[in-house]
Amino acid sequence: MEENKFSIASEPMLEMFTFETVNLIEQLEEILLRAEKDSELSGEDINEIFRVMHTIKGSAAMMMFKNISKIAHEVEDVFYYIRENKQVSVDISNLSDKVLEVVDFIKEEIEKIKSGVKADGNEEKIVEEMKSYLAEISGNLDIEIKREPAKTKQKFYISPYDLKKGDSIHRYSVKVFFEEDSQMENIRAYTIVHNLKPICKEIFHIPKNLIEDSESAKYIIENGFDINFSSLEEYEKVKEIVEQEIFIKTLELKEIEEYEEEIVTQSISQELNKVQNKICIPEVVPLEKETTTTKQNIISVNIARLDKLMDIVGEIVITESMVIKNKDLIGLELDNFNKAAMQLRKLTDELQDTVMSIRMVPISLIFNKMHRIVRDMSRNLDKNVELEVIGDETEVDKNIIDNLSDPLMHLIRNCMDHGIEEKEERSSTGKDLKGKITLEAKNISGDVLIKITDDGRGLDKRKIINKAKQNGLLTKDESELTEREIYGLIFLPGFSTKDEVTEYSGRGVGMDVVKKNIEKVGGSVFVESVIGIGTTINIKIPLTLAIVDGMEISVGNSVYTIPITTIKESFKLNKKDLILDTNGNEMVMVRGNCYPIVRLHKLFGVTTQKIDLEDGIIVMVEADDQTACLYADLLLGEQQVVVKPLPPYLTRYITKESGIGGCTILGDGNISLILDITGIINQVV
Amino acid sequence: MKNILLVDDAQFVRYTLKLMLEPKGFKIVGEAGNGLVAIQLFKDLEPDMVLMDITMPEMDGVGALKEIMKVNSNAKVVMISAMGKEDVVREAIMAGAKGFIVKPFTEETVIKVIEKMI
Repeated sequence: MEENKFSIASEPMLEMFTFETVNLIEQLEEILLRAEKDSELSGEDINEIFRVMHTIKGSAAMMMFKNISKIAHEVEDVFYYIRENKQVSVDISNLSDKVLEVVDFIKEEIEKIKSGVKADGNEEKIVEEMKSYLAEISGNLDIEIKREPAKTKQKFYISPYDLKKGDSIHRYSVKVFFEEDSQMENIRAYTIVHNLKPICKEIFHIPKNLIEDSESAKYIIENGFDINFSSLEEYEKVKEIVEQEIFIKTLELKEIEEYEEEIVTQSISQELNKVQNKICIPEVVPLEKETTTTKQNIISVNIARLDKLMDIVGEIVITESMVIKNKDLIGLELDNFNKAAMQLRKLTDELQDTVMSIRMVPISLIFNKMHRIVRDMSRNLDKNVELEVIGDETEVDKNIIDNLSDPLMHLIRNCMDHGIEEKEERSSTGKDLKGKITLEAKNISGDVLIKITDDGRGLDKRKIINKAKQNGLLTKDESELTEREIYGLIFLPGFSTKDEVTEYSGRGVGMDVVKKNIEKVGGSVFVESVIGIGTTINIKIPLTLAIVDGMEISVGNSVYTIPITTIKESFKLNKKDLILDTNGNEMVMVRGNCYPIVRLHKLFGVTTQKIDLEDGIIVMVEADDQTACLYADLLLGEQQVVVKPLPPYLTRYITKESGIGGCTILGDGNISLILDITGIINQVV
Repeated sequence: MKNILLVDDAQFVRYTLKLMLEPKGFKIVGEAGNGLVAIQLFKDLEPDMVLMDITMPEMDGVGALKEIMKVNSNAKVVMISAMGKEDVVREAIMAGAKGFIVKPFTEETVIKVIEKMI
């Protein structure tokens, strides 16, 4: 079996393998971390781990990833032993350390496989470790896991097959070689014996102990399998029965006068020599679960197909409005058309919702990874930290989840490394020795809010300002900075508290990358902190990137889209509410509050006739708890738009900071730029 | 006489078998991820043969085999076993399995077994 059987293992097969293995590994990790936390490994957990490893072993072997298969096999052995020896005492944290090492190894190999690199990780060290671990818990250094029941076998078989007088007994000799690679040759031999039994009176074979003797398969490969037996059946019938076994390479069947002495005596002498040195562990009937639920009604779909589907639905939505709002229809009497159009509208809405819901996955997918980080870092940094997860059933678009994993990991690492104090520091400030990180997700009006809260030392504003000054990052006088702006400084490129570089944080990846990654999925991030009490990092991400409810506005000849969720109100300005600040910036007074006015035509350099603020319309928008008033020419109406990313040649010039988040195609075929309200507000507030 | 029921909890294995068998003109009439579903599908679909994994959740392959043999004593069930499960395979043979293949298997092996069966 050394040669590669799947030299041309197909791409989809590989994909399926990595997909399933990653899922199984994650499931395993989850079980382990939970078990470690509760200090309890239930019978069901053990079964589950055993099964996971068994499946991985089989699949990896099929794909010829021998190192993965081998390691999985060792773990399977360990859990087999634990399952069958319930009284064995196992240190759960030690065990999970070992198995997590395996998990990491397999993860790493899968990553290699995914990126097209040879999965060449050396498994020997871990295999040895698992072996010695098994020896340790079983208290036997020579243990060999053998899964055969230690039944004593009959010496030879007495058939119920009645010998009637007058019938002639035939004696046969059979010698069989199995095909190379047919595997489990001893069981194949057993199959032949099993098939023959109903027609024979007595039967002898070498090797005798097909099942108990682990060497029997090897013996059969080298020497073949010899049987002598007697039967009333004729040659042809016997041959047919023997040949029921599929993997026979050569078969020698002859009728004989007397049994071959060697075979008969060896069969018996082997029986007499049957002293077993090995520990045999009986196979126990697998736990019967009461649940009859099955997961058969779930299929996995390649995400690229969903993307494609989403695209098509997007196009349909656009095309639909192209048809229904077609200029050719203006002024026509269209009762029936409108009825049909309404029905179409209803269906496309439904279609869109359904496709969206397919793409939604629970955020627990990435939250679960954080348990592992907190666990590992708690140990290595000698901090005692508990991670609490709230709302991990919140659903988010798959694409967003994928982009969120790295930033979250980085933030959690930061919490562990810099946020939570050393034990000594905690006890000297009278805090609970056990630190706590809370990871929370919840839905807030079309967005998902993720909060990462630690009860650590909090951010020191003074330090941050000094640091920013040193690095020349301050653009305003420090006395003018709001709290939020000060904390915002840590997200600037070039801001790094380098004196605190450790193994985990500050590996060249700064908070600026975290921010960039979050913004890439249309999200925003801000920090709240109280010194000595802790820090909260708030991440707001949209539920989905694909479709937003937008308000179309016009400025000159251009059309822009404002995401409806950001709009608070819109109104015509009354000159008496207009205020100018000392720098001549326009502000508007609304119900006692003052808000800055952003003239979109100025912001984007568009020519328009409506220069006077009273001519156009004011749209009050809010993002990240900050409010501003946009000035546009006209409100055109509400529309659902499909968000398209800006083409690459534009993203070179237009960044998020400039206030453009994406673009969309309108029903009439025109292009509308989608405003990024956060970006705009940050420019003026 | 070419309808096959695939039973394995590993989606990967079912998928691999499908890739191997369908181009050869065999029809995969059903797929099951555990023994209980396998029994139900066997009753519903009456396949010509069953390829059955051994270690599965809910109900394992031998359990399902025994039930299937009760439904139809002539059922053609071939077990798919991992290495090192000799005792279970023997139990399956005793319970009426018509043969077995061992993971990792090749396309050649699978086709050979099936062609012998049907």
